[in-house]
This record gives sequence, C-alpha cells and structure tokens, in this order.
Amino acid sequence: MNVELRKKAKELLKTKQVEMIIGYQRGPDGISATPVFITREEEAENLIWDVYCVYNLSNYLKDFPGKKIGIIAKECDVRSIIVLLQENQLKRDDIFIIGVECSGVIAEHTLASGKESPGELDFDEKCKACRPSTPRLYDYLVSQKDQKDKGVLPEENPYQDIRKFEAKSIEERFKFWQEEFSRCIRCYACRQICPMCYCPRCVADQTMPTWFSRAPDLEGNLAWNVIRAFHLAGRCIDCGECERACPVGIPLREVNKKIEKDIKELFDYEAGAGVDQKPLLSCFDQNDPEDFIR
Amino acid sequence: MLKSITKEDFFTRVGELSNDFEIIGPMELPLKGIFYQSILNTEDLYLGDGFAIEPIKKFFLEPSTRLLRYPWKNEPGVESFSPPERERIAIGVRPCEAKGLVLLDSVFDPPASSDLIPNSAPGAGKKSSNRAGSTYQDAFYTNNRKRTIIVGLACGRPDRCCFCTSLGVSPAGTTGMDVLLFEIEGGFAIEIITDRGKGIFGALGKELSEEEKKLLTSVNNKREDLLEKKIRVPESMDTIFTSDYWDKVSRSCISCGICTYLCPTCHCFDLIDERRIKLRCYDGCSFPHFTLHASGENPRPTKKERYRQRVFHKFDYFKINFGENLCVGCGRCIRFCPVKIDIGDIVDKAPLSKKR
Repeated sequence: MNVELRKKAKELLKTKQVEMIIGYQRGPDGISATPVFITREEEAENLIWDVYCVYNLSNYLKDFPGKKIGIIAKECDVRSIIVLLQENQLKRDDIFIIGVECSGVIAEHTLASGKESPGELDFDEKCKACRPSTPRLYDYLVSQKDQKDKGVLPEENPYQDIRKFEAKSIEERFKFWQEEFSRCIRCYACRQICPMCYCPRCVADQTMPTWFSRAPDLEGNLAWNVIRAFHLAGRCIDCGECERACPVGIPLREVNKKIEKDIKELFDYEAGAGVDQKPLLSCFDQNDPEDFIR
Repeated sequence: MLKSITKEDFFTRVGELSNDFEIIGPMELPLKGIFYQSILNTEDLYLGDGFAIEPIKKFFLEPSTRLLRYPWKNEPGVESFSPPERERIAIGVRPCEAKGLVLLDSVFDPPASSDLIPNSAPGAGKKSSNRAGSTYQDAFYTNNRKRTIIVGLACGRPDRCCFCTSLGVSPAGTTGMDVLLFEIEGGFAIEIITDRGKGIFGALGKELSEEEKKLLTSVNNKREDLLEKKIRVPESMDTIFTSDYWDKVSRSCISCGICTYLCPTCHCFDLIDERRIKLRCYDGCSFPHFTLHASGENPRPTKKERYRQRVFHKFDYFKINFGENLCVGCGRCIRFCPVKIDIGDIVDKAPLSKKR
C-alpha cells in the first residue's frame, strides 16, 4: 500500500492539486515514524503508512494557512480535521485528505523497552476503544488489502475504567489527580500537540492579568490541566496525542474520556462525527438536561 | 581514593546522613518513570541503570524561584526571601548532569576572578579575554550549589539517545562530582573526589583489591563503547545562520517546552509577577512567545528562528562566550521529543561545507 500511497502523492504534486503533502517517513532509528513535509515528487518515495505512524498530523495544518495541503490521515486524525472544519479553522477546498485504513497503531512508549516488531508491541490504548476502520471522510482512500494486520477489537465498554474511577470517593479522586498533576512541568506539550488547541494566545500565556499561577506547583498545575480539559469539552476526538506527548506520564486521556462520556450521556453528542454536525457548544436544545445546573 | 562498599553499608550510611542532610535522589514511580525527589526512606532510592526524566538541574536552577515580595500599600522597598540553608546530598547524579551543572556555574556562579567584578551589571567587569563570560553571582543558584554535595553514579547502560562522549563527557566522568559510585557485584566502588565527598563517605568501605581495581578499570574502559550514537560537533556554525536547513529541520517541531525544560543545561528564564511576588520560571526558545516584545514584534517569529536559536546557543554562542558547548549529550531532548526531532542528528548533518 506504500506503493499506492506514493503514487497518489506524486500525482497530487505533479498535477499541482496540492503544494505540499504532510505524511509519515521512517525515523532515524529505522523503526519509528516521524512527520514529513513533501513538496517535490521524488520525496514521495519516503512516504510510509504502517502501525508505527502514531502521530495525528492534522495539528500541522494550521501552519500553512491558505495553502493547498495534502494530508495522510487515519480515522482519528480525520475526526479532528472534521472538528477543525466545523470550527472554521480550515477550508475544505484547501485540504486533500489521503485516507488510510487503520487497524490500530502501536503504543509508542513500548518501543523504548527495546521491542521492535509489531507482534511484540502493544497497541496504543486509544486504539482499544476504536474499531479497525476506514476514515469517515477522505478525498482518496488507500486501502490496506495487501497488508494483513492483526488489528484490535474495540472494547465492549469503552468507559468501563472511567465508571470504576467515578465510583471512588471525592477524596480518593482528588488525591489521585493531585499526585498526577503535581508532576506536571508545564512544558505545554499537551497543548502544542493538540490539533484543537489553536488559540493564538493561550490563557496560560497571558500575564496581564495572570489567570493562574505560571509556576509548576500544584495550584497552577491543577488549574492548567482542568482548563485544558474543559476547553476540549465536546471537541476532543481522543487521538491521545496529549497523553503520548506528556513526558511525565500524566494520564490525560482519562480526563478527556470522562468529559467525552458525560457529553455522550447528557447530549448524545460525539465530537468529529460528521462535517454537517454543529459544534456541541453552539447547538442548544430545549430538551437538553439541566439537572447539573444548580 | 577508590574503595568498595556493600549495598547495605551504603544505604545505612545514607540513612545516617539523612539526619543532617536532605537526601535528593532518583525514585522510580511505577508506570511513570524515574524522578529526582527528596528521599524520605532510603529504600526508595533508585540506583539502577535507568535515567531520570527531569535532570538534577531542577534542584539548582528551580522551575520556579521566588525572588522577592512587594510590600502592601505604598511602603518603599521589597522583602527578600531568605535562602534555604539545609544542606543536601544529591545521590545518583549522572556524569552528564553533573557536567551540566558545571556549565550552568559559568553563567550563574562564575569563578571569582580578580579582574572580574562580581555583582555588577553585565559588561561592567573588565574582560580577562575576548570571551564575554559572566560576572554575575546569582544568589539563589549559588546557594543551592553551595549547600549540595553531589554523589554521582556512573552509567552502565546508555540508551540509543545518549551521545555524551561526542561532547567530551564520559559515562564515568567525574566533572562536577564530589563522589562517584560504580555499581559492582554486591555493592558499589566508590571514588572520593573532593574533601566534601570525603567528609560524608571517607570513613566507609575497604580498599579495592588489585584484582577489583583491574576489573573496574577494564569495565570503565569499555563504558564509552556502549554509546552507539556519535556526532560530529562543528567549531562554529556561523556560515549557516541564514541557511534554509533550519526551516527544514524545525518544520515538525510542535513548539512545546520538553526539550528545553528537560535539558540539563538550558537556562532561559522568565520573570513573572504573581500576587506581590516576583517569580523566576523556566522559559524555552521553542515557545512561540519566546522573545515576544511588548510591542508585538518578535525577532524570532517562526519555528525556524527559534530552533536555530536553540542549536546556536548550544553549539555556537555559548562556545564564543564560555569556551564550551552548552550540551552534554544526555539525550533527553531526543528521548522525549513527541515528534522525534534529533538535535544530535541535526548538528551532525548541518551543511557547513555549503553556504546556502
């Protein structure tokens, strides 16, 4: 399928349908994938798509406003592109989505343990809640028929862990998150890697006034992490990039998932489900539940 | 002075020392990684092969330091914070990190020199050479350095991101150490380097036998071979300042602060006013608002200029000012980069021959 992918990329560049293609290439370690930005046909030979391609490349689309960009995207990446389209951050005509069929990517941190082949490696947690799938939106689909992946099956109940956690007392939950957030170093990798975090001036960077402490101590860390999570309510599509990027291992997906679950249960809304869907916070229904407003 | 000591004796001694000293050391948090922390129980001390995520830097140049407090109302003057006095022992510090502290010293705690005037404005002191150097003794950093004894641990298993030998650091290097430990069967070989080190561990252990000495030397000789990654560090990068190479290598950068915050030598900071307190917090050249002026002008507006700044500060400007590279090859910025940008690779492959 890499052959087909490269062929299509070359064609898009040759016919000037796009000025650049954002995709994956093999990293310097010979195993993992890294993002690559291709503008010349011959560079298309570097493109790859396999289980090591964990990144959500849609984060880079905002770097090239007004340009025609081709992007290689799996289902979760496509859902974030959909949210960006809903929020008018992208023009549909400016992007060409080369969809790739995905049956799960590897958990990148397991690479550090010395394991290398796909068989030995675990699938990423986010993939365990996802069906092996064809992207819901694409301009061209590279199908995976010549590559047989083991694939992952979706968990029967994706919110099982969240429910277990909810059952704990407030004190226990607070203690858990205090411990987790106390390690935060405020590198803002979670924000920088998130396709949905595109504010030109983040609240965390404002100093006139300072909205919460910029020092990486518990108070400021709690504020930052809660604000980050809330700002993603109804927008996070669970690509898991924040958790992957976090150098100190804070389980950020659990925060995101909790909000995702509440929104699903309260409003029957799923972020990034379709281009025609309105953003959650801009649709209001008289029948919306309001028991939580006190 | 080289001695051998059993693990039990070592930990017992650390336990005794914890009455008089704060013990800082690596601790392994399950599923999270290794973190330098204040150690309350000596059995929490992790002295294995793994590396701490954050470097020991955070106990010297702290992620946030309270510099001063403004008084209420219109009272004149400011209140200063009295610097902490408790003496500390940092155990398990790696040679690269200790070398990092020595590099930070040249900025925050420069050696006193007769023709340099300490505590004066930059540039006010007479320069002893054409190096700019530093004349400023930072009270907070200097105090942290003064009150801390460094007990290092030689590296037994460098990973594929480590490249210290390319920057003149050895996995068994003693630069910046008061004591250096080598893991040997049943315990540690312990090398006392300074009088401070002698003061805490001098009375301990027994002389190494000739055989043990030979064995340790042969192990130490092989340590450098354990590093797979080797890079070529150029003398100067002056010729490629305007190269489009920087555009290419920085394109995938997501502008987060991991590489700078986890770096044992990065030391850019920001001054912040919060609730009457002036704080000094880490800053990093990777952030989009790094060097953003109040006017809205930013001399480093894109990732290209900012990434170039990082490379030039480490491998060019610092060398001009202090005579050394501001990198110790610890590999953290490579290990933790969310998009696997490899500074070693970038420096090694810099197109110095061609002026592009």
